[in-house]
Amino acid sequence: MELAVWTDPLSGSNCYLVGEGGGCLVVDPNDPEGPLSVLEQRGWTPELVALTHEHCDHVAGLEALRARWPEAKTIAAAACSANLGNTRLNMSAVMELYLAFHGKPGVRYPPFACRAADTVYTRPYTARWRGHRIRCVPLPGHTPGSAGIFLDGETLFSGDYLLPGGETVLRLPGGSPEDYRRVTRPFLEGLPRGLTVRPGHGASYML
Amino acid sequence: MTNLEKYDKLFLETFHLQPDGLPGLKYRGIQAWDSVGHMDLMSAMEETFGISVSTPDLLDFSSYEKGKEILAKYGVEL
Repeated sequence: MELAVWTDPLSGSNCYLVGEGGGCLVVDPNDPEGPLSVLEQRGWTPELVALTHEHCDHVAGLEALRARWPEAKTIAAAACSANLGNTRLNMSAVMELYLAFHGKPGVRYPPFACRAADTVYTRPYTARWRGHRIRCVPLPGHTPGSAGIFLDGETLFSGDYLLPGGETVLRLPGGSPEDYRRVTRPFLEGLPRGLTVRPGHGASYML
Repeated sequence: MTNLEKYDKLFLETFHLQPDGLPGLKYRGIQAWDSVGHMDLMSAMEETFGISVSTPDLLDFSSYEKGKEILAKYGVEL
């Protein structure tokens, strides 16, 4: 199993690409070109695409990937899937504003919508990919459709939770401090030591 | 509900304010109206009035009163 990371220069979001036997698990296809070029260069065929949440900086490459590899199946929390097509809730409607606030004024970022996922879940759900367990746990708070994606219980793709040195943002559209306090924070606080965290922004680390 | 009532409601709900807190309200004048709060307010505003506001205008939306002027440019009379 090999891991590649594509970091979007615009938003700093991470797309993780896990390759094995010519197939690939893609977590958060964040750009229409970068992750696709990694897949082409490595000769990997995306088979499963898992989304940590619906924000545009994590899904901007989803439709491009689907167009190139229509057989790839997308898995997401039900709320994430539903919100992919909503430019307010996927944040693409105000992404230019976000970029301006983060020192990148004048960047064109047209709003976009994505189609729903192929597989959705409202409770913890385990998918199988090439013999590996991909356990998806709904973790609302940052967005209604946020989730933690565990690979074999050893690695957590944490999306916009557990960002190194970063505070979890709960005030964007659809965010819920109540859900975070009730569901997600207790879950995150109970994660085991030794777990490798691969966050949606920033460098990976071990708990 | 009138457009003005809808406009006020956006501020009241986004920033958890009372109506007497609206006149003179400015960006960064309260803790909740920071850059994150601004994105929340702007996206809710676009959805409420069914408009798409240019990014320069979103950045220029610096107060409760200024927002009324900007919305008028998009045909939303308050």
